Amino acid sequence: MRRILRLMFVAAGPYTAEFRKTMRYSVAATLVQAAAYATFIPLLAATAADPVDTGRAWMWVGALAVLVVVEGLLRAREQAFNYDTWPYVTQAIRRSLGERLRAMPQQELGRRAAGDLTTLVGSNVISASTSISLLSTLFVQIVTVPAVVGLVVLLVDWRLGAVLAVAVVLAIPMFRWIQRMSNLGFRSVNEADAAAADRIVEYVQGLPVLKATGQAGADSPRLVEVLTEQQHTQSAANRSATVPVAGAQLLVQLAMVALVVVGAALVLDAELTVPLLVAVIVAAARFAEPLAVAAVLVKVFELSEAALSRIGAVLAIEPLPVKAGGSAPTSFDVRFEGVSFSYDGQEKLLRGVDLVVPERSLTALVGPSGSGKTTITKLITRYADPQEGVVRIGGVDLATLAPEELLRHVAVVFQDVYLFDDTIRANIAMGRPDATDDEIQEAARAANVHTFVDRLPHGYDTRVGEIGSALSGGERQRISIARAILKDAPIVLLDEPTAALDTESEVVVQEAIDHLVKGKTVVVIAHRLSTVVGADQIVVIEDGVVAQSGRHAALIADGNGRYARMWQAQLAAREWHVPAGVNG
Amino acid sequence: MSEQSGLGQVLGLVRRAPAIKRRLGRAVWVAVLGSASAVAGFVCVGFAVGAIVGGADELTPVLWWSGGALLGLVGGFLLRLLAEHLAHEASFEFEVILRRMLADGLARMPLGEVQRLGSGRIKKIVHDDVKALHNVVADALPFVGSGIAQPIAAMLALGIVSWKLLLVVLLMVPIAAFAMSLMTKDYAEQRNRYNQASEDVNAALVEFVQGMPVVRTFDDGSTSFRRFGDRVDAFTEAVAAWSATSRSAGLLTRLFVVPLPTLLLVAAAGVPMLAAGWISVPELTIALLIGAMPIEAVAPLMHLTNYINDAKAGAVRLTELLEMPGLPEPVAPKLPADASIRLDGVSFGYDADRLVLRDVDLEIPAGTVCALVGPSGGGKSTIARLIPRFYDVTAGAVRIGGVDVREMESAEVLRQVALVFQDPFLVQGTIAENIRLAKPDATDDEVRAAAEAAAAHEFIVGELPDGYDTQVGERGGRLSGGQRQRITIARAMLSGAPIVVLDEATAFADPENEALIQNAVARLTRGRTVLIIAHRLSTIVDVDQIVVVDNGLIAERGRHADLVGAGGRYASLWARHEQASRWGLSATQVQEATR
Repeated sequence: MRRILRLMFVAAGPYTAEFRKTMRYSVAATLVQAAAYATFIPLLAATAADPVDTGRAWMWVGALAVLVVVEGLLRAREQAFNYDTWPYVTQAIRRSLGERLRAMPQQELGRRAAGDLTTLVGSNVISASTSISLLSTLFVQIVTVPAVVGLVVLLVDWRLGAVLAVAVVLAIPMFRWIQRMSNLGFRSVNEADAAAADRIVEYVQGLPVLKATGQAGADSPRLVEVLTEQQHTQSAANRSATVPVAGAQLLVQLAMVALVVVGAALVLDAELTVPLLVAVIVAAARFAEPLAVAAVLVKVFELSEAALSRIGAVLAIEPLPVKAGGSAPTSFDVRFEGVSFSYDGQEKLLRGVDLVVPERSLTALVGPSGSGKTTITKLITRYADPQEGVVRIGGVDLATLAPEELLRHVAVVFQDVYLFDDTIRANIAMGRPDATDDEIQEAARAANVHTFVDRLPHGYDTRVGEIGSALSGGERQRISIARAILKDAPIVLLDEPTAALDTESEVVVQEAIDHLVKGKTVVVIAHRLSTVVGADQIVVIEDGVVAQSGRHAALIADGNGRYARMWQAQLAAREWHVPAGVNG
Repeated sequence: MSEQSGLGQVLGLVRRAPAIKRRLGRAVWVAVLGSASAVAGFVCVGFAVGAIVGGADELTPVLWWSGGALLGLVGGFLLRLLAEHLAHEASFEFEVILRRMLADGLARMPLGEVQRLGSGRIKKIVHDDVKALHNVVADALPFVGSGIAQPIAAMLALGIVSWKLLLVVLLMVPIAAFAMSLMTKDYAEQRNRYNQASEDVNAALVEFVQGMPVVRTFDDGSTSFRRFGDRVDAFTEAVAAWSATSRSAGLLTRLFVVPLPTLLLVAAAGVPMLAAGWISVPELTIALLIGAMPIEAVAPLMHLTNYINDAKAGAVRLTELLEMPGLPEPVAPKLPADASIRLDGVSFGYDADRLVLRDVDLEIPAGTVCALVGPSGGGKSTIARLIPRFYDVTAGAVRIGGVDVREMESAEVLRQVALVFQDPFLVQGTIAENIRLAKPDATDDEVRAAAEAAAAHEFIVGELPDGYDTQVGERGGRLSGGQRQRITIARAMLSGAPIVVLDEATAFADPENEALIQNAVARLTRGRTVLIIAHRLSTIVDVDQIVVVDNGLIAERGRHADLVGAGGRYASLWARHEQASRWGLSATQVQEATR
């Protein structure tokens, strides 16, 4: 519980001071509230006296009234955070998460699924900030009210106080138990949910096959199996979480009854006056309530703690350090010097790679998928720092360059194009925010974007989201190439940019690439070897090492080499065609 | 439909499962009993006190009342527990029933419609939206029971004990009712604005996260982060606006719909009444014990609005999906005579007003190979989808073996046609399970023969730890793209379907294993009627029939050599293809001076 408070303070960020103030109001309000309940003891004592002590009774009613009003005022101050500050806490957390996402090492980013990050910045932030504004005050109440009431009862009669104390002592392990069970249940339900969700996706995707074989419909065996399993898990988790909660609540109720019984016994022994007992019972009912609520809230606290700690974990990720002594590169050759790299510190993806890409030259990386080609291009954008060796641009160690500085010198065209839901113009202009309209149009023309923009409803001002799927893969690719042309960075990285295109798009995208690479230092990842036979050097990567490198002709000359074999296989595959039918 | 209230929507779904409706009804009644019992328990506590005050010598009534108190309180507690248990169990069962209903509906819908909705969206509805009902069905409904029963029981009990003190407590009712009406009022405008802002934030977020590689290499932060930040700010404003309108209601609730003000009122009225001898000490005690109960029971009811609003959108989506029309099935289904395919004057549009195919005639004799070529969006994939009846045609007819596909059982149509045009689809399970999916009663030998024909056997026994019993991982994650592709080809082999519809682009997505997949495809197509959507024209030069589809029409058809000779649409596509395959990047290109 202390941990959750600490996390709340971390997440409150710039609003820590207000949050602290709110917590103070909350404690004060709750103390006043507890004191208000405590006044029932002398109040009832006065009313139950024979004859009724009206003067004292009125005095305590007055005190009660004052306390109720004071509590109200303090509560109003406490609630102000919820109404006035909560939205801004959410905003601050989201903005700082956004900053972190931009600044954290790409490798860290790559470790997290896009869906998880969306949940983090979306719903986790909401539950975290809600816990800051709502749960924190509830928490204060749950702890303070029983403590104060218990103390007052103890002052009235130590034996009655002891009954409550025993209840609290017994309740603590109960709460631990609730925490453990709801955690367990939460995990098992999450797993069952994920399995069911996966199976539903499977069902939808496999519907043609399942339908053909009578495995679709309400009795689909694969689906029913996992849904039934999910139901059992939910029931079991619910039961196992309910038992301790019920136990805790029952305990509280029994404590009330025990209080009445012990109190009655004391009255019968004339050790306690009736009015005092009545007063204690009324006050103790208030003691019980927060404890019962707490039993239910433990689960909620667990959830928000999970959300808070996930946010805290992301906020704690530092960007890659920028070493001192760097200067902006003035030439643009790329060098790998004995580079070894591993994602997890165990399996090395690159092992001692030495590579020189001279300025204004074309280097092709080829080799089986998973061999390390993509990792090499990623390291040029400082996706992560290699464990051994150095990557340099124009002789400058990348680790000494600020991210913005490095960014200026490298343009990347990915296989999967990502366009933002904005106008086509804005998507191109991203390459250079200060570009004039003429420059944008020129880049667009060079990338063959012009040819299809004319037929769009608003030309360059057409929003990409509006036409969505109306843009073909080739058209999207051309927009992304225009972006790179506009950027005019001296180093260009291409990752299989024409792999997923049809014949017609291919030609125009190829023309666009021709424009992009003019006068640049180019590194291209290629599967189709025929597209890179004219490269200055072809580097064959296999198992994280440079297996071969050289010009096409020289590599082919080594008939037993890896490259020559790949070349032969591709030639054969290119000659292949679908055979005619037997009846054709 | 959507004008219906949120609760109405949810109850509408519950009504589809009468057994669940009855079980939930029982749970509500048990909750009502529980509340009554709890109130009775508190009343007994009051009388126990009264008995002590009345005659301290007489122990028996004290014990009786105390016993009653114990019974009432514990009984009430156990009954409420039982109510919760009943409601939760019913709700979990309801989830299964609802999901199975949805699975049934999906199986009846046109497959094209299912694909258009997409597995992601359907998963969200069938899984997440159903789950979101739980809060209303399991938590809120019993709440309603106790939320209504408890105040009524408490007021009844207080009325019996002391009607004068009841009148005092009732003074609070208008204030509570006013606060409640403010609180539960649906601020539709603010809520919609909030929902919209919330959706926008999520969209911006998805964009920001997914576009991060682009953001990292192209954006200095001025564009993408601003877009994200703007949406976050808009959300903040929407929340602030909503908070501002609801703050007075919220404060009023926080200050008055809590026990203390009521208790203060009871005490302030109780002191003079007691002094005047109108009421007794036990009566005052009981009023202090149960007087605040009506107001306490009301508070959770206010959260109900939130629950219901949260579940409403999902309930609407669920109802829509459940009510989507299915494909009509024939009363007297027919069987095809052979594996020939014929399109007679087929027109088709996804929207009624925009046809994507117009009056298409096509004949593919059994055992021949037909290739569809043409620009993307021209209609190739639509033709491929109409053959297994993913949609019904707008006009004309699609026939397999001379029988209109609408006169065949839709499962029968799918048995005739093996599809290798989706992304390779694998289920979680073993390799053998995945291949056997196409023919659940296939023997091990049949599975193995299919795998051998699909050039999959070698990697299955050679590279996978447990051979055919290897788990493929989530959606086949443990296999490479080419391996997954060959498993799906093996499945098509095993199915024995005489017709194969194949998308070349996905079939050859794996350049490393190209040759293996080519062999597998060659074996798959042997002896079958084949329709292939082709992109790389060099692969189809030998097929029996090439059909150029453009703009929803058949532009040209014939054999490769004839079409190239004709100098028409195909000839220019072929020229483009030749040009594209000659392209390459060269050293001289990058050495040219920058413009």
